[in-house]
Amino acid sequence: MSKRFVVYVLCLAVLNLGSPLAAQAGMVSTLQAVEASTRVRDLATVNAALAREEVRAQFAALGVEPTQVESRVAALTDSELRTLAGQMGEMPAGADALAVIGIVFLVLLILEAVGVIDVFKKFP
Amino acid sequence: MTARTRASAALLGLVALLSAGCASRGPVLDPLVAGRHPSSIELDGTPFFPQQQYQCGPAALATVLAASGAAVTPEALVAEVYLPGRRGSLQPELTAAARRHGRVPYVLPPDEDALVATVAAGLPVLLLQKLGAGPLPGWHYAVLVGYDAPRDRFVLRSGTERRKEMSGPQFLATWDRAGRWALVALLPGVLPPAADFARYMEAVAGLEAVGRGETAAPAYAAAARRWPAEPLPRLALANLDYARGDLAAAERGFHAAAQLDPQDAAARNNRAEVLRQLGCMTAARREIEVARALAVGGPLAPAVESTARQIAEQAQGDAVGCPAD
Repeated sequence: MSKRFVVYVLCLAVLNLGSPLAAQAGMVSTLQAVEASTRVRDLATVNAALAREEVRAQFAALGVEPTQVESRVAALTDSELRTLAGQMGEMPAGADALAVIGIVFLVLLILEAVGVIDVFKKFP
Repeated sequence: MTARTRASAALLGLVALLSAGCASRGPVLDPLVAGRHPSSIELDGTPFFPQQQYQCGPAALATVLAASGAAVTPEALVAEVYLPGRRGSLQPELTAAARRHGRVPYVLPPDEDALVATVAAGLPVLLLQKLGAGPLPGWHYAVLVGYDAPRDRFVLRSGTERRKEMSGPQFLATWDRAGRWALVALLPGVLPPAADFARYMEAVAGLEAVGRGETAAPAYAAAARRWPAEPLPRLALANLDYARGDLAAAERGFHAAAQLDPQDAAARNNRAEVLRQLGCMTAARREIEVARALAVGGPLAPAVESTARQIAEQAQGDAVGCPAD
């Protein structure tokens, strides 16, 4: 019974972490004002607190060190959290140019195998 | 045909295939530069961090951060932006990491004009390229550090190459395929050339949202000078005054914002709340009623209603020195 109570309190605390300005009743934060005045909001689709939970889980699943997960989540704005939530597996992950070298190598290998070119003979 | 010539012929064919679709286009840099920018420029002083495997994100980010004067290394940034499960870095994490190092991460409008103008203004640009196709997309971050219009070449810090040149059409094609995403890391107070108001304010407000409000202050001040008719930068500065506990300065700032745009519900709501805390109940009531009428049905309605309730609960009366309007 008391354990369940602690869990509820912790859940609420975690949900509150996401919106530090919500505690100041009534004041409109600059980011709120920016969002309200400069662009269409898609808040209806993903709640920021849920997005935060999801991104946290995804970070852990994608191999981020447990000690770094919190600070990386904390660095993201609500709109970035909503962008990441549910998409971290598909978004472009800029890596390096090796993929292209890979393609070239693959094509060369195929051309070699079907006898069009003859570049790998020296490495039997 | 020797093996060597046959191999180079195959390679040439492959290169032609990969760059197909670009070959028919004429030079791209000439019309972009066209008397508005120097015909060639190269930001030689931009540092170079050769990337480790898969880590062009940390390397490219370190390049633009160091160019703006931040003391960073790619190795330190790996822990902030590298995602082992994706063997790469995602765009929102690059903007987040730029903020952690006290820079304003301004995402450029998706046109090549902005790209060229930004480099011409002396700011290196971090951008995403798609070098491959199909199952091997080849997403890659590089930093644009210059161009040469007469030769139609773009100059990049890319991967392990300190100075990589790409032809105009080829470079723009790789950028276009990656969704035309480009980022500058601005020292707060520095505005990008031809800055877009909404993009800039969103970039700066992100700093405040992650608890770096004081870092954002010079950026808001610069915006207030650049766009004197816009109420938002004044509202932002007043919010910082409020966060510092300087209620009188905050009240003046919100008042200035509301005078620039009498329809600004956020400025009126925040001024009403500050007036309440100052004990100026007559003015607070008047201001919150205007804010309520403006905010009804909009995204700010809940905040305004909450302020209105607090004002209604507080006893009437006015402290000494309350504003007359």
